Amino acid sequence: MRVMVIVKASKDSEAGIMPGQKLLEDMGKYNEQLVKAGIMLAGDGLHPTSKAKRVRFSGDKRAVIDGPFSETKELIAGYWIWQVRSMEEAVEWVRRAPSPHPGSETEIEIRPVFEAEDFGKEFTPELRAQEDRIRAEIERKKS
Amino acid sequence: MRVMIIVRANRNSEAGHMPGPDVLAQMQKFNDEVAAAGVLVGMGGLQPSANGKRVKASGGKRMILDGPFAETKELIAGYAIWEVASMDEAMEWVARFPDTGEDDEIEIRPMYDHGPCGHRAETAHAAKPIAAE
Repeated sequence: MRVMVIVKASKDSEAGIMPGQKLLEDMGKYNEQLVKAGIMLAGDGLHPTSKAKRVRFSGDKRAVIDGPFSETKELIAGYWIWQVRSMEEAVEWVRRAPSPHPGSETEIEIRPVFEAEDFGKEFTPELRAQEDRIRAEIERKKS
Repeated sequence: MRVMIIVRANRNSEAGHMPGPDVLAQMQKFNDEVAAAGVLVGMGGLQPSANGKRVKASGGKRMILDGPFAETKELIAGYAIWEVASMDEAMEWVARFPDTGEDDEIEIRPMYDHGPCGHRAETAHAAKPIAAE
């Protein structure tokens, strides 16, 4: 199964304060372990929401809202995508992660990602073929 | 530049209601176009937070919380990573996002390109063959 591991924002990440050398080193080591264990599919950090936008969809209307957004604790600062056997394995790995915001309380959320079979028969053979094409395009872009 | 497209959760996604065939087909068509334009780097839909967990780090302590989590509007239901020339280009693609018939909110966030994590993403791609999907 794939999981998305979500690192929540903090006052510092929203202020655009970059991590210090110690955290960069700890995170580097940790990420190396993830790669060696073969579970790391992707991982990235996001700029503060002062550089972000939101688009609100309501019927035919589209409203564009400029950042920053206020609810810091519910915002995202970064994420990983992991390939794991179970939620338990994911939790074990998260326990070993360096705290992304040292000195302050942090929450990391782990969410299973939908796979094609989760969509049932609504996900027709045609849609599956299309999905395969999209994934192939993504792979081509990576290589 | 790379941007992360964050699709916010709503009552239906949190209840685990899967999209109907029309919405699925429109969404796939949209993703197909984004991929064909060479913009799509990654994407995924998330199961409801009822299937999720949180790890709370406080000092040296790690506490595990089981989902579901209450603040529906701030939860995430899906994401995509796009490679675009500018935020404006990202906004143009978002404007073409299919109408799901529900009130949706999509957040567009620029990603750090050469941070610790940006590097890691490249390593991750190199490690891809090991991590069989």
